[in-house]
Amino acid sequence: MIAINVIIGMVLIIIGLSFQVLGALGLIRLPDVYNRLQAATKSITLGAISIAIGVGVMDPTLLTKAILVAVFLLITNPISSHAIARGAYRSGVPLWKGSVVDKYGPALERKEREVKE
Amino acid sequence: MMERTTFHRSLPAIALALLFAATLFVAFVEVDFGEPRIEEELPVNYQPGEEIDTENITTPGLRYLANSSEETGSANLVTAVVVNYRGFDTLGEVTILFLAATGVGALLSFIKDDDEKKKKKILPPSLILNKGARLVLPLIILFGVYVFLHGHLSPGGGFQGGVIIASGMLLFYIAEPTKGASHKVISIIESTAGLAFIGLGIVGLMTASKIFLANDFAGDWGEVGMLVSAGLLPLIYIAIGFKVGSEMTGLVEKMRGDGS
Repeated sequence: MIAINVIIGMVLIIIGLSFQVLGALGLIRLPDVYNRLQAATKSITLGAISIAIGVGVMDPTLLTKAILVAVFLLITNPISSHAIARGAYRSGVPLWKGSVVDKYGPALERKEREVKE
Repeated sequence: MMERTTFHRSLPAIALALLFAATLFVAFVEVDFGEPRIEEELPVNYQPGEEIDTENITTPGLRYLANSSEETGSANLVTAVVVNYRGFDTLGEVTILFLAATGVGALLSFIKDDDEKKKKKILPPSLILNKGARLVLPLIILFGVYVFLHGHLSPGGGFQGGVIIASGMLLFYIAEPTKGASHKVISIIESTAGLAFIGLGIVGLMTASKIFLANDFAGDWGEVGMLVSAGLLPLIYIAIGFKVGSEMTGLVEKMRGDGS
């Protein structure tokens, strides 16, 4: 009989792994920087946190560390992807030709106009 | 056309490198570096914690495995080899790192940042990045300090901890492009740490074994696996941590360009 926490941990790890695989796939398949960032942050963050928590559930002595890792990932991953996306946009990396909405560009223009006035 | 000119320019450098290599080859081809010490293959199936037959040790690796915790007091075998058995090599490594950082600084000093416009073009960081970096930076510095303080207990050590601290400083520079650590402070920390390393080596000359960088206090305080143990090893790793950290921070600062 396998302990219940091991089963829960394994399920969490499997969920995390599938998100990681999907994120990696998106990193290769999606058309431009901004779309790829979606894959590289959202699903990779969830996948990594899920794997960490799963390991913590399987071995409760590691749970504190796993939660710390998860919190650290939750702080750093969105910030870094935000910085990358902002840097890419400001340095003029074009959007994919099929993109339908770009709210950052008009917002930037409005801000610049305000600064001039 | 372009390629040819660049090739012409690099010819003297290539010739110099070849000359240097030939000199080294001629100088060292006759030198006897001693007998090969490894008489047998290392046992491939060695498991950590397995008893080692101390009676017939045939390789340096097995010797270190059998005696390192007793001789150096370090729970981490890699640290025992890097700082204790091969301490002098590590001094050389630190020197190489210093020379590399100085060389990069010298190369970058040829680039003049004469256009003030370029400086003004640096974007102010967004609020998210700024606040996030402020939140994360102390944690990164703390982690770096942890890594080099526990170098004799867990994986990692002075070099790794120093690089972690420098990466934290890189984050700081990204989050606050206008601010920066003073160049003077960085070089003072760096030189003090280097001097501390050599001073700890001289302590080895003065104590029982009279060997440079000898670790004579190995078993004198603490037990293997405690924070205060392993004699001079943690102190040396603290010095290396400060040195590598300040060196790498200086490197990042030089790459950023408005230092000097």
